Amino acid sequence: MAVNNNLQQEFVKKWRDNAYGCFTSGHKFCREVCPVTQVTRNENHTPTAFHANIVAMEQGALSIEDIAQDYVNCTMCGACELRCPNTLFTGDFYRHRTQTVKVVKAMRALAVQSGIEQPNWKRWVEATVDKKSEPVLDVPINQDNVAAWAKGLDLPIGGETILFCDCEAAFYRTSVPRATAMLLKKAGIKFGLMREQWCCGGPAAEMGYTDHARVFAEHNLADWRAVGAKRIIVLDPHDYITFTEDYPEYFGEDFDIELVYITELVADLIRRKKLKLTKPIKRVVTYHDPCRLNKRKGIFESPREILRSIPGLTFKDVDHVTQWSYCSGAGGGFAVERPKIAEEISRRRLAKAAELEVDTLVSACVWSERPLSARGRELKPKVEVRDLMELVAESAGLDYGGVKV
Amino acid sequence: MSVVTVSDAVIEELKGIVGPEYVLIDKPARYNRTRVPAPFPVHRWGDYVPDVVVLPATAEEVSEVVKLANRFKIPIVPRAGGTGLADGAVPLRRGILVDIKRMNKILEIDLEDRAVTVQPGINMLKLNEELKKYGVFYPDDPASYPCSIVAGRIGTSGFSLISSRYGHTRDLVMSMQVVLPTGEIVEVGDGGGRKLRKSSTGFQLKHLFMGHQGTLGICTEATLELVPRPEAEFAAFFGYRDFEAAYKSTGAMTKSGLATLAAVVLFDDKKVQYLRRDDEAYIPQPKSVNSVIATAIYGVEDEVRAAGKRLLRIAKETGGKYLGDEVSQGDWASRHDRYATPLHGRLLNGQVVPMCWHCEDSAINYSVIPKVRKEWHSIAERYIKKYEIFDDWGCFFYTNAAYKPWGDYLAEIDIGIWEQRLNEENWRAWVECKREITQVALKYGGSITACHGSTREGDAEFVPVEMKGGFEVMKRIKKALDPNNIMNPGKNMLDKAYED
Repeated sequence: MAVNNNLQQEFVKKWRDNAYGCFTSGHKFCREVCPVTQVTRNENHTPTAFHANIVAMEQGALSIEDIAQDYVNCTMCGACELRCPNTLFTGDFYRHRTQTVKVVKAMRALAVQSGIEQPNWKRWVEATVDKKSEPVLDVPINQDNVAAWAKGLDLPIGGETILFCDCEAAFYRTSVPRATAMLLKKAGIKFGLMREQWCCGGPAAEMGYTDHARVFAEHNLADWRAVGAKRIIVLDPHDYITFTEDYPEYFGEDFDIELVYITELVADLIRRKKLKLTKPIKRVVTYHDPCRLNKRKGIFESPREILRSIPGLTFKDVDHVTQWSYCSGAGGGFAVERPKIAEEISRRRLAKAAELEVDTLVSACVWSERPLSARGRELKPKVEVRDLMELVAESAGLDYGGVKV
Repeated sequence: MSVVTVSDAVIEELKGIVGPEYVLIDKPARYNRTRVPAPFPVHRWGDYVPDVVVLPATAEEVSEVVKLANRFKIPIVPRAGGTGLADGAVPLRRGILVDIKRMNKILEIDLEDRAVTVQPGINMLKLNEELKKYGVFYPDDPASYPCSIVAGRIGTSGFSLISSRYGHTRDLVMSMQVVLPTGEIVEVGDGGGRKLRKSSTGFQLKHLFMGHQGTLGICTEATLELVPRPEAEFAAFFGYRDFEAAYKSTGAMTKSGLATLAAVVLFDDKKVQYLRRDDEAYIPQPKSVNSVIATAIYGVEDEVRAAGKRLLRIAKETGGKYLGDEVSQGDWASRHDRYATPLHGRLLNGQVVPMCWHCEDSAINYSVIPKVRKEWHSIAERYIKKYEIFDDWGCFFYTNAAYKPWGDYLAEIDIGIWEQRLNEENWRAWVECKREITQVALKYGGSITACHGSTREGDAEFVPVEMKGGFEVMKRIKKALDPNNIMNPGKNMLDKAYED
């Protein structure tokens, strides 16, 4: 029986060889590092199943209606791709590298195009379109207060370098952008803010709403161009993924903006002694590698370098490969549709931190910090969750203020 | 083929037993629990889809599900990791599929008597991550270590790469709890003790439930051996000018009496050619290397250091050239990942295509390795020339005996199959090829399989041939334990037990 839907046929044509690369291996090394499968133990949620479904679609056995729900069960952390033998050893000479995150994203887009929507994602994207920023819970969101976090910091609008402040940071955990901005100023970095900052568009794209995502991206690029921006400093890994992976796809060779992740920049400033960390911080910490930073962008050294340069800190590290199997559960829109499983994922992450007998878990992803903090408060003794930039600012003697929930 | 459709009433009863959210009837749940990594008749996928999937959490729930299946005579198939290379977990007659992956808790770690009791859905790597804190490990080391699951290891009587030092699954599982095909929950071990390694009371029932491929029940708990984490690990790879030299050297190493020798693996020239040709990660060796031996020694530092020196000497004296620390340590450390990499192969005209891996494994004696190898390659060559979907990825020979490296070997020929092009004609050709390979092993006094099981078309039909009079005993046991033939029917020719 042939697949009778044009959209599905196109989809299968595009992804079938990639899917067969997994299907014909079928060894499922991904399963035990997948944060969702670790909790649910349901084979429907394994990355292997995400590929096998495509082969079944080709056979005419499954349709997007059958499988759309299963593709909600992914945080897009990327651990499966790293753990896949196809990725680990064969390189990509034969174009057999397993791409699961892109497949999930594409399948969610196919679902939306086919009229299959998830209710919470739909509401989330509609609210984002309406407010131009993500609907951060219980906080008033609008364009008038998108830069309210910067009150009193005297930051200019525009310039060659722009600090892009994530929605969660701008409206919810304002301590993170405040700490970041004060650090950059102290180190003598000249930067400004956007005239009108909209959501990066990444979450809408991850939830399958590609057209909406594109609108956000076009607005932001136009704003950057209008203020003469050449370089964007990014403080959230989700924005970083969107800017480095989605935007080039949207704009092709025209996208000539330099992107700098904050931990890379700050580590360099500390190395070059442009930023001096003098105030000891008496904490016993471990580090949570944000999935998009470590697993998807390969940034795991700079955060560690920064932590090791903070005086007074006892840093109990777990290597970045071990952390492939950890996740906060906050990514890929997963927590919006599957809050209970997401909560259990972050609970397990904190349990791993507690085994190291630390008082603080440090993250470099503002989206991970709300769920991780909530689980840290459940523990006895409690484990506090701090952002890396908050600790750096503190050690640099800065009183950054802001809200830290 | 008899096709069962599970009624709504049965589905409702299942929901009452395990809870509604753990009874899955959606198509993706069922399709995704059909296949195994071995070449799959993808053109006939729909033939093996179970009617319903249940995800139980306790032995009691498993027992109730089995009782229900027995009452309605519905086929029931247990599934663990679903990574077996035979069809053990494939529901040939549809019915109820019992996926035990939610049962993955560690129940007791006993450091005094060196035993760990687990639910059967736990993965080997995850178990060892927990055991590491206590300085012990569970030394069952399949190639699929990062994803294989205890219950599957028991169901297939799995092979461990480091078995010469520590034994195989059957030696490492001390006892287990099993739900029988009629639903009773029983404990079987060596004798009746849960944590005993040796007893001579009664029959050796533990072995009956090793490698039964889900035909005699469902394991719901297992007590496993704990051994000290090895202080030292020494891996050494050697290159040889030809297969004959490597073969002789393998014999010398394995008969040397080194008690800490955990593994000796012989790669033949076809395997080296394949790696050289198509594995980008393979570190190039001089052309003079046409066969390779991989060895590993595990133990306390003093023993390992001394044994390593002796092994290097034996290899050198028998024509082996040490391939260096990078190859030896790197390739051994990545052994689990490397085994799953041959995902592309070449057609006769040299075209590279995505291929899946069929591993035909047999247990054979050392003395017949050269003959078996030659005949296997010649069979593969015939099929490659006739059908444009096959490739020969060479042979491996692993030391097979537990606690001793000499005598017999897991012999394996790896055949690449272009799964995207499978149709009925090609599938029949592959089954025929498999049949011929199997018959060679039997001709030389070997066994159909050393680890994966004889549950696929192409070798299942030879179970009565290999087992001879023992097959009559198997049939009687099957019928006595499973009067209605509900447990994984269609496997191992055991349907014959019900023909009279």
